[in-house]
This record gives sequence, C-alpha cells and structure tokens, in this order.
Amino acid sequence: MTSTPEMPVLDIKNYSLDYETANGTFHALKGINLSISRGEILGLVGESGSGKTSLAWSIMRYLSKNARETSGEILLGAKNLLTMSDAEVEAMRGQRISMVFQDPSTSLNPTLSLGTQLSEVLVRHRGLTRKQAWAEGEAMLAHVGLKTPADMMRRMPHEASGGEKQRVVIASAFACNPECIIFDEPTTALDVITSRQILDLFVELQAETGVASLYISHDLALVSRTASRVAVIRRGEIVEQGPVQDIFANPREAYTRELCAAVPNPSRRLVADGVTKTEGEPLVRVENVSVHYGRKPLLASLTGKAFTRVKGNNAVTLSVNEGEILGIVGESGSGKSTLAKAMTGLNPFEGKIWFDGRPITGLSDMDTAYRKDVQIIFQHPDASLNPRHKIGEILSRPLKLYGDGSNIAQQVGDMLEKVRLPRTHADRYPHQLSGGEKQRVAIARAFASKPRLVICDEITSALDVSVQASIVELLLDLQKAGNTAYLFITHDLNLIRQIAHRIAVMYRGDLIEIAPATEIDSPERADYTRRLIAAVPLPAGSQV
Amino acid sequence: MIEFLKRLLRTPQGAIGLFVVVLVLLIVIFGPMLAPNDPEKMAPLARYKAPSLTYLLGTDQYGRDIFSRLLIGARATVVMAVLATIIGTLVGALIGTTSAFLGGRADEFIMRTVDAVMSIPSLLFALLVVNLLGSSTVNALVAVAIAFAPGMARITRSVALSVRKQDYVNAAMARGESSAFIIRREMLPNVVAPIIVEMTIRISFAIMLFATLSFLGLGAQPPAAEWGLMVSEARRYMHLSAGILIWPSVAIAIASIGFNLLGDGLRDALNPRT
Repeated sequence: MTSTPEMPVLDIKNYSLDYETANGTFHALKGINLSISRGEILGLVGESGSGKTSLAWSIMRYLSKNARETSGEILLGAKNLLTMSDAEVEAMRGQRISMVFQDPSTSLNPTLSLGTQLSEVLVRHRGLTRKQAWAEGEAMLAHVGLKTPADMMRRMPHEASGGEKQRVVIASAFACNPECIIFDEPTTALDVITSRQILDLFVELQAETGVASLYISHDLALVSRTASRVAVIRRGEIVEQGPVQDIFANPREAYTRELCAAVPNPSRRLVADGVTKTEGEPLVRVENVSVHYGRKPLLASLTGKAFTRVKGNNAVTLSVNEGEILGIVGESGSGKSTLAKAMTGLNPFEGKIWFDGRPITGLSDMDTAYRKDVQIIFQHPDASLNPRHKIGEILSRPLKLYGDGSNIAQQVGDMLEKVRLPRTHADRYPHQLSGGEKQRVAIARAFASKPRLVICDEITSALDVSVQASIVELLLDLQKAGNTAYLFITHDLNLIRQIAHRIAVMYRGDLIEIAPATEIDSPERADYTRRLIAAVPLPAGSQV
Repeated sequence: MIEFLKRLLRTPQGAIGLFVVVLVLLIVIFGPMLAPNDPEKMAPLARYKAPSLTYLLGTDQYGRDIFSRLLIGARATVVMAVLATIIGTLVGALIGTTSAFLGGRADEFIMRTVDAVMSIPSLLFALLVVNLLGSSTVNALVAVAIAFAPGMARITRSVALSVRKQDYVNAAMARGESSAFIIRREMLPNVVAPIIVEMTIRISFAIMLFATLSFLGLGAQPPAAEWGLMVSEARRYMHLSAGILIWPSVAIAIASIGFNLLGDGLRDALNPRT
C-alpha cells in the first residue's frame, strides 16, 4: 500500500523464479509484486503448488541448486537481498528476517534441548554469553505463554506437546526482534484448539512488536481472521491483492470468487435435514467397541508382569441409519481412525458391531457380504492406490471379488464415468493423475460393490479447498443416488457442519456426545464440544 | 525406459558398470562363436606360450588357448552366478515379504531363523551344502542360492515393512483379499527397486563364490573352462607362466567390478530423490 508514509520493510518488485528440471524450465514465480510495512500482516493464500513456499524460501535466500532468479529484486529496507554475499545472508537470517515453519516436530532438532536451541539464536545474533542467553530464553518462554519456562528450557523436543514446541519456535523467531517474520502455515500441523491458541499468541506478539509479517496459508478462513491485507497467488502469479474485507466481500477475479465459494461454511447446509428418521433398526450399531494397541510381550506373560496396552477406543457406542451421514470429529489421536479401522477389520476390537441386524464380534464374522456392504476410503489417495497398478486394474479388483467378473473393461469405464473421470484413465498409473483425480478413483473403488455404508477417513484433508468442494459434491450426489450411509471422519468442523446429519465428537478415545448437526453450536452441548466450536475460525463473509 | 537409462548413464558408476556388464553379456552370448581356437584342444608343443597373434593371451600348461577358454568360460561363470543370485533373491524376497506381512510372532520366528542361518558365513554355508549334496555344477548353484536367500530376506523385509503400513495394503485387506494376493500383487511390486540393486551387487559376490568353490574343486570339474577352475588349475604352473593365473583372475575381477558398479549406478537411478 503506497498510502503508508514510511518505507515498506519488505518490498518485492517484479520477482520471477524458475526451476530447471529434467523436463525443462518450470516457472515457479512470475513477476511477483508485494510489500509489507511495519506492523502489518500480509496474508498469502494459495493452493498447493502455487509457489507460496518458494517465495518464502527466496526471501530467506535458501534456494535449491536448480533455481534461477530471472528478474526483479527483493528489498529488505534499502538492501537488495539478491545481491547479498553469503556472509551477509547468514548475518541477516534470524537477525533481520526469521521464519516459523509448519511442523514444530520437524523444525526442532530432536537431539538438543529446547533451551539450547533457543539460546543458540541469542548467542549467535545478539552476542550474549551462554548464561545471559539462557536467562533471556527463560524470559522469552514466559512471554510466549509457557507456564513453566525454566523447566521447559531443559526439556527435549519429544517431551513437549506440539503446541508447546510451536511456542518455542515462535519465541526463537521473535528472539532478535527481527524486522520481518515469515510464517509458513504455522498452525496446519496442530490441533484445532491448540492452533487457535497459537494464532491468538501470534496476533498478540505481532501487535506488541509491530513486526512486519508474511502469513502463508491455504486456509482462507484463517487468513481472513489474522491478516490485514491478503494476496491471492495462483500458479506463481499474484491474482489479486488488497484489504481483507474487499477481497472476501467482493472479489474481483473469478479465481478468488471460486476460492471463496469453495470454503466450507456451516451456515450453508448441503443436505436436507430430517430425511433419515430412525424407523426400526439402524443400519449399523456400534456397541461398546474398544480397541487396544500393542501385544503382550512373551516375557511379560511368562513372568506374570503387569502390562498395560495403549487405548485406542474406549467403549464407543453409536449408530448410523440407512442413508444417513454421521460425522465424527475430534483432534488427532482421539480415536476416529481407530474406530474406522475396527469397523473394516483392520484392527482387532472388543465389543459388538450390529450390521443390518447381524452381530459382528470379530474378524471372522466379516465375510464377503459384510465387506461388500462396508467400504472404506482413506485420507491420502497417493498411499491408498498401489503405485504399480494401473487404474483399470485397481478398479477391477472389487468387481472380481464381489460382483460379476464379466465384461470388466466396460464396468471399469462406467465406474470412472460415475465419478466424472474420462474412461481413458483406466490405462493410466496413479502418479499420472492429480490429487483430486486419484481421490475420485479411490471413491470409485469403494462404490464398485454398491456398499450400504462407506467410511470416509479424512478423505478431503489432503486436498486443496476447491478440489475438496468438488469431491464433497460428488460424494453427496452418490449418496443421493444410492441412499448410501456415510461415516464421515474429519477434523474440519466447518465442512462436517455443512454435510452431516448428526455429528459425533470424540476426545482421547472416548465418545463425548452425538448431536444433530444443526444443534452442534447450541449452548447445551458438552464443554469440550463448545471449546472445539469456539476454536474454529469461521470463513470470511460470515464474520461475526 | 529411455528416461531411466539417461539417469543411469549420468553417474560414472552407472555408465562404466553398464558398459562392462553389456560387454560381459555379449561375450556370454557370442563368446563361443568368437573364440579363435578350440578351448579343449591340447598342443604339447605349444605349452606356456607368451601372448602372440595366434594365441592372444598365450597358452596354458596343456597348450590350450587361454583367450578362447576365457570366451567360452564366460558362459559357465556368469550365467551360473546370475542364475544362483536370481533364485536366491526370489526365495529371499518371498520370505521377507511374507514375514513383514504376517508381523507379530510369526515375523519374529522367521527373522530369528534367518538370523541364525545368516550367522554362518556364506562360503562356509555353500561348502556345507556342496559337501552334503556332492560336488557338481548344479549343486554349487543350489548352494550359492541358499546361501544368498537369508540376506535378501532381511533386506526385503525392511522395505516391505514400510510398504505394509501403506493404505493400499490396508485397502486390500479391508476388501477381503487373500494374503497370497496381497503379498504377491500389492506388496512385492513395490519392493523390487531395492531388491534389483542388491541383486546386481550380489551377482559379483556369486561370481567370486563360484570361482572359490571351483578353486576348491567343489564346483565345475576339469576340463571345463570355468574361470575359477582355470585359476585353481593354474596354481601349480604359475612359476612357469604367470599368464595362466593372471588372465582368468583379471576376467573374474572385471566382471565382478562391472556388476558392482552397475549396482551402485542403479541405486542412484532408481532413487527418485537424487
């Protein structure tokens, strides 16, 4: 914004970046113009592969060997970063620009204590002695809201939770009062409630220090809450930039409009309510199902030593009606996927599952008829499709197992068309498809046997928001066509409030409660549910 | 395929390894046609000859042409080594993948057994097998194959363990596929890359192991032109003509190094991260 009287802290002018690859030159960034002033948060929003992280690395001057900077300059104050010597760059990093990474568990060195890593920065850039740096580090940890800073300094990274670690990373980013901090998806790897706390901390520290911040994210709802200005990037080009309200209230570019529309919004329900009244038996009833991990060591059983197994699920009871979408939400480690695996026979479990009036007590009860009716779709299509099999072969397996094995090629083509993919994709390998296309193939595979219950385990969380929207649309169409019931596992509350009939909330292996989706935000809900709902940023456009 | 060859040729190890291996394979195929003399024709008057135009690498203690013997012996030496390695690899890969798939106690049992077998040095193990079965070419092949299987099982298992956790294996299990199908069609194709690398390196071990067995008189029998046997026979006459000993040794060394380099090159070429 040229209206700010002072000079911008970081000014990127007409910056372009290419990567030399075996298949020719890839234009990662094209003519980028961005500037951040003191005390400003600029949100950079884009889908995967749009060049967000490339831009972050070129500001930090840490580019891979095959990168070519073809034009432009990056000004920090008055200094052009592109012409800096290696020694200058080293002095600049941490001192004038620092960075907070996505995953605190990989950005901290697991073999050094948190205190050592934090004081290292202070010794290096502020010339403090070890002792001074340690004391200063403690003060900083107190400042980022850690309860026992002295204790925390001595801990190793694995002894701290994800949220605590990210606080330490943030403390070390702010350690030398830099002029500019780059945040690369700092909350993506964290749980909903923790990420809200980290976000609050970030906003607080930012207001206090007035540091110029570049906040990179794929989450529009999140950016609309934190940033004052937003730049939307697509395939290496800035599509649109401006104040948050303008961008989200009346986007000028078609792409921005598309992006905004794709963000799940709980006030825009996608399913009709009340279609699934509980008349008679539910399709599936999970009764007191518990899952434990770990096997009793042979030695322990011989010596009679007590052995406690890790609990995955703790006596979960729920039911899904014919044609109903039941959402399951919870933080990571709450036992959502464990339940899905138990229901598909991938985990041994205790308790009972009633399916269509038939009791299932273990793996041996899961015969072909059960497996035909209950299908599962996994989170990462890259992992759930065998990279060495062609799509046609992947899709033909369920046909051979459950259906009639005749005329496979014809049936595979029909399946592909059902998930809106061209028939010719049958001859391709998974790696030749995009992420969204791969997930469509996984969906087609699950629907090949005309199942009555499909378990969707975080199936959209690895996808971009616009792809997610189209996948959800496809799922809802398939659901209407076949009256299939879904068990939809996700951590995205906004999404599940859009599509589920009822929502089950899980926490550390326990089922907290089940409530109709429309009443999930009512004040009568359990304490944990209310905290969860409060922590989720509402998308732009539905601001309070 | 073209792309893969390009990647392979980009590293010096890959390029040299591929060149040597192709050369060795050409000799295996066309060697007998190229040989200028009959490898088993004795010439009492032409013993211990130095290299000349008629005898390119000289003659041995019976006046046989060393060059021709090497060309023909390539078939016995290299083909045997490759065959033994392939059999050992297949057996090992199947054991390793099955063990990783079964997991739990079965995995422990299989792998500890494999460990026990592995603790015997492969040469000693091969000697044991040959002694039990009697010395012949086929038995030497079986011995080397069995000696190689445990090592391959170990390597395959470590790769298969990570494949086992992939969702496509979970998906197959949730679909109700049979264990045999999952091991054969879902898991094995995804562990081949490291196995191929390990196999090429092991071929060179096998060449040397066969040479050693023949040298000890437990593999090929005279008058076969097997390289190891040639070294073994030359031992007593080396003070009369060093060439009898040196040339087959050089041939063994070149073939081994060639396969080893190719293995190194393949390791880099099959790894998409380099």
